[in-house]
This record gives sequence, structure tokens and C-alpha cells, in this order.
Amino acid sequence: MSVVLEVSGLSKVYGDVTALDRVSLSVEEGSLFGLLGPNGSGKTTMIKVLTGQIRPTGGSAMVLGLDSEHEGLRIRERVGIIPEQESPPSFLTSMEYLEFVGAVRKIPDIRERADEWFDYLEFGDKKNVLCKDLSRGTRQKLMFAQAFIHEPALALIDEPLINFDPIMQDLVKDYLKDYVKSGKTIFLSTHILEVAEEICSSFAVLHRGRLLHSGPVADLAEKGVHLSGFFLSLVRKGGHA
Amino acid sequence: MPELFMRMMKEEWRMHSTIFGHVSFALFPFMIFGISFMGSFLLPHLRQALPVGDMALATHVMFLVLGAMVGGFGLMGNEMMNRRFGQASLLAYSARSLPLSGKFIFANFVVKDTVYYFFLWVLPFGAGYIAAAPFTGAPFSSALLLLFTLALAFMAGLCTVFLLSSVYVRSRAVCGVMVIAGGFLLLASFLSTGPTLALLFPPYMLYSGFSWGMLLLSCAILAAMFALSILLFSPDETGTTRVHGDLYRPLVKRGTFLQQSPLVAKDLIDLYRSGIGIGQALFSFAIPLVVIWFFLSLAGSFLPPHGLILLFAMISGVIGSTMYTWVTEFDSFGPYACLPVSVSTLIQSKITTCALLQVLPASFIAITAVLSGNSADLIPAVALCVSFSFYASGVMAYLCGLSPSVLVYDVKVLFTYLVFDGAVFAIFSAVSLAHPLYAISSVLLFFPGWLFVKAAMRRWDAVDPAGL
Repeated sequence: MSVVLEVSGLSKVYGDVTALDRVSLSVEEGSLFGLLGPNGSGKTTMIKVLTGQIRPTGGSAMVLGLDSEHEGLRIRERVGIIPEQESPPSFLTSMEYLEFVGAVRKIPDIRERADEWFDYLEFGDKKNVLCKDLSRGTRQKLMFAQAFIHEPALALIDEPLINFDPIMQDLVKDYLKDYVKSGKTIFLSTHILEVAEEICSSFAVLHRGRLLHSGPVADLAEKGVHLSGFFLSLVRKGGHA
Repeated sequence: MPELFMRMMKEEWRMHSTIFGHVSFALFPFMIFGISFMGSFLLPHLRQALPVGDMALATHVMFLVLGAMVGGFGLMGNEMMNRRFGQASLLAYSARSLPLSGKFIFANFVVKDTVYYFFLWVLPFGAGYIAAAPFTGAPFSSALLLLFTLALAFMAGLCTVFLLSSVYVRSRAVCGVMVIAGGFLLLASFLSTGPTLALLFPPYMLYSGFSWGMLLLSCAILAAMFALSILLFSPDETGTTRVHGDLYRPLVKRGTFLQQSPLVAKDLIDLYRSGIGIGQALFSFAIPLVVIWFFLSLAGSFLPPHGLILLFAMISGVIGSTMYTWVTEFDSFGPYACLPVSVSTLIQSKITTCALLQVLPASFIAITAVLSGNSADLIPAVALCVSFSFYASGVMAYLCGLSPSVLVYDVKVLFTYLVFDGAVFAIFSAVSLAHPLYAISSVLLFFPGWLFVKAAMRRWDAVDPAGL
């Protein structure tokens, strides 16, 4: 297995806040990697740095062999991203938004692909509704579709399940599991430990910008330890450090 | 009421100071004070060219327009907050989560806007004039009265927009009829009696001849408009899901000759569907220019025959360049961050959209030239207007990147913008007044404008984008 994402001594400082503090980790091709951490631990900052949206203060990150500090645009061409907060543009319809993504990403058969996603995520009745009039769940479906519509080799997804109902969560989890089976890689940022334990093959724990642990989920199972218990004890210890 | 009002005031302050820093924003009223103070010393010279009454009327109308612009901005605040800060909201839009009626919240919002912007704009301007009064010989009582009547003019603009917006939410047709009828009345009055109607603007009448009756009338009109806008206020209905046809694909196909057609098509749809395009064309372009034409025409006798239309063309160009703020109004970099799009690509696309929109100022100036009997100067006028607009847009893109509508409150940015535009304005005023054909040389401005755009792309690519 080759490494698709390699982070080395990565730091990001905003004013007097250290969002990432010399973090090092790597992600192998074909894995579903979970970046876990409480709110404000630096997970979202990590995704922004990895995809070249913001520049690191120190260290480096290579994504698909590209340097995130200097080749952010090329990285964003090749990966899919679900940002944590962003919504699709207010005044485009769902279909127009996917067409927009297709035009920017130069996807020739975008309408056919979009229709497949409308069917798969069951929101075809909303394809001609303005994004500002969509419910949060439907907006999340749209953001999910835009991240995967070009079938990227690597998807970096930030809390992708948070606005979904249990049925949709199940559907999406199945999709993610199948996606990595096809040899592609997913970098999932979440604080929902049950989801991470269920679908991730490896994980890392981030707390207050520092990496507390990194390794395969299977190692915990072998030791008979649940991810949630392990995570909580680690964060509590880390919190007192 | 006081608690909600105070929190809305704090919210407004924090929104502004978060965007461009506490100190920079706190300096803004001081800059307005300084401009007004220094400007007061020019009044004796200006009086030789323009009667005192005309200057006073111009100032009052300027604050009327300012009030209208502030009102329009306030009503779009929530959408802008969401675009700038992600999932954010304003207290003005919290009727569903607070045990307070929508009308009560709206009333607080109106009062907050009036007080907040009075301290931000009106008071510093008036105070500058008052502070200069001992040196310029202006009577102190007259300077104090000016501060008061400018506040009334500002409130008149503010409550006109609030009233129109309240009517708009209830019936777009009625609002449209009101705007068209009002515009028609103004135009008809201007064509038949000249500036007489403007002289009947109550705050101006109060300034030019104070009387308690006029004071009462001015306040009564304002109170009636505020009351009416609050009474008519009804929050936007939610839960309606209108279906829209696909505009995007046809637009992209038509614009394939443009380098950034996918992004330009999105901008055009944003302008059309948000109503910003029509609203801005009216309140930020057509109305201010009609007002400016009116006041500029008062100075017509002091200018050569072609001077009026060419000066107006330059001003139209500068106002036309503010279309760059229309197309950046709703966009931070955030929504594009998940796509292979850089800040420089976005700036390029916004400039392209802005360039397409220049059809509006170009047509406007061409029509004005023909209607005002200056057809012979049509080509120099259009050249001046379009060149100025491109140059000023380039300067704006360089100084503000994708945030011109917020960075305008940054003292340093605004000052630099005024210097860059002012210098060119002064040069081409002299050139154009010397001979109308010389005005065509303004096309040279495309070169520095283009350099500014290129520099903007480099400059804003090098920093972490705002809105992330």
C-alpha cells in the first residue's frame, strides 16, 4: 500500500491560538482514515491545510504527492472535499450547483452523474429548488454529492453525517465503505466515535492541536478496547497534560 | 426594548470590527470628521462657483442617498453574515427563537440602524463642520442646525427604504408601482419646473429657513414613514419551495468565449435571483447618478459646453466601478474552497462579470449624452465612463480583494482608494475640459487598470483567504 497523505511536523497558528501543534501522521491508499477529536481540537484546520485552503505556519503536508502549501489548487482538482460549515450557493438550484461543480471540474457528463446522485441520495424532487430553500439535511446531501461526483482518488470529508437522519446515515456509511473497497481513500474528520469505530480502518486522535494517538482500529479490537473508551481516557489525560 | 436595542448595537459594532479590526474601524468616524473639517475650509472658494443654497441642498441629498444605501445594506445583513461567517445570524432575524414579535424586533432594528449610523456618519460629518465654524466664519447656530437637518435627511433615506421593503414583502407589484410612480413624478417635476421639487425637501427647507412648523412637519413625515413601515412589516414566509428552471447551462454555453464562464454565469444568476441586481441598479447606480446629474447641471454655467457631460461620464465610471461590490456582495472564498478555484481566479471572474455589467453605465451615459443635446461628445463620454470604471474596479480589487463592501470602512483602504481615483480624476478632468476629443485618451487607463487587476490576483493569492 502506498501513502497518499503524509503530514510532517504540521503547525498552524492563528494569532495567539495554536490550532495545530507539530502534527505528524500518514494515511495509506485504500483506507478509511478517521481524524477524531473534540470540538475545537484542530480537525477542520487540518483539512483546510491539507487541501491548500490555508497555509501552514510550520511543517509540511504532501497529499497525493503534492505539497499542500504550494500546490493547493492541484490538490483540490484531484480530491473531493466536504467542508464542515459551508453551504452551497444560495441562488443556484441543486441541479445548477452540481452543473456549476461539473463546469469548474470539467466533468463532461455532469447531468447524468448528477441525476445518479439525486436518485441515490433520494432528493430528486429538490433538483430545481434554490439551495437557500433546502433543509440542512438536503444541503448536506448536495455537498456530499459534489465531493464525490468526480470520483476522486481521495476525499477529505468533515462531519459528513451530522445533518442526516439514521436511514441516510446508514446509506452514506455503506457508500463510504464501498468507496474504499474500490481502492480509493477517505480522510474522515468526526467527533462521532460510533461512526468512526464502525467504518474506519485506522484513526488518529487530535486534542488542542496536538496528536495524541495514531494507529489501526483493529489494534483496539484485539485488545478488547472500545474506541469511545480509549478516546475519552486519552483526551482526559491529554487535557490534563 | 433597551436591552434588545443595546445588544443590536453591540452586534453591529462586532460585525464591523470583526471584519477589519477594532482600531481601524474605530478610526472611521475620525476620518469622516477630518474630511468634513478640512472640506469646510474649501467652502469660501466653492461659493465662488456654486451658490451656498445649492451646496447645502447637495449635502442634504447626499445624506438622503446615504440613508437609503445604509437601509438597503441592513436589510441584506443576514444573507451577508451567512456568506462571510458561515452559519451566522443577526438578532434582527431571531423572531422564531425569541419570545418577541417580528414587528417589535424590526422596530428595534430600525432604531438601531438610525442611531448607529448617525454616530458613524452623520455626527462626525456635522461635528467636523461645527469644529471648523470658528475658522470659516460660518455661524455656529447654522452649523448646529446643519447637523440636525442632515440627520433628518439621513433618516428620510433610511425610512424610505424600510417602507419600500415592508411593502415589497407584502406585494412586489405595489412596491414596483410606488417606485415607478415616484420616479416618474420626480422626472416630470424636474423637466417642467427644474430643481423646484428638490427645494421642497423638508430637511433642506428647515435648514434654509428654520421654523417650528417646518420642524414639526419634517419630524411628522419621518415618524409616519417609520410607523407605516413597522405596521406593514411582515417577516418573509418560510417553507415555500419555488421551483426554478435551469438558467446555468444556457448561460455557460453563451459565455464560452469568456475565460471564467462557469463562475461568471453563477455571478449573473446570483444578481438576477437575489434581486440585488435590480435593487443596486436602482439605489446604487441610477438614483445617485440622477441626483449627481441634477447638482452637476447647476454648475453647468461655469463649465465649457462639453464639460458637464464629460465630468458626468467620469463620475458615472467611478459609480459604475462599484458594480464590483455588487458581484462580490454575497461571496467570500468559503463556498469555493472545496473546488479547484483560487482567489485570483475568483477576482478575475468578478472583474469579468463587472466588465459585462458595464453595458449599463455605458448605455446610461450614451442616453444622457443624446438627451442632453451632447450627441457630439457621445464617444468621448462613453470612453471616459468605461475606462474610469475599469481602472477604479482594478484599484478596488487590488485594495480589497473579494471584500470591497466591508473594507470600505477601513480608513487606510478608503484613503488609498480616494487618492488613486482622485489623482486620475483630476488629470482627466483637466484633459477633458481642454478639448472633448482629448477625453478619448482615457482608454489609456485600461493599462494601469489591468496592472492593478494582475497585482490584485498576486496579492490576494498570497494571503489566507477571508471567509474561511
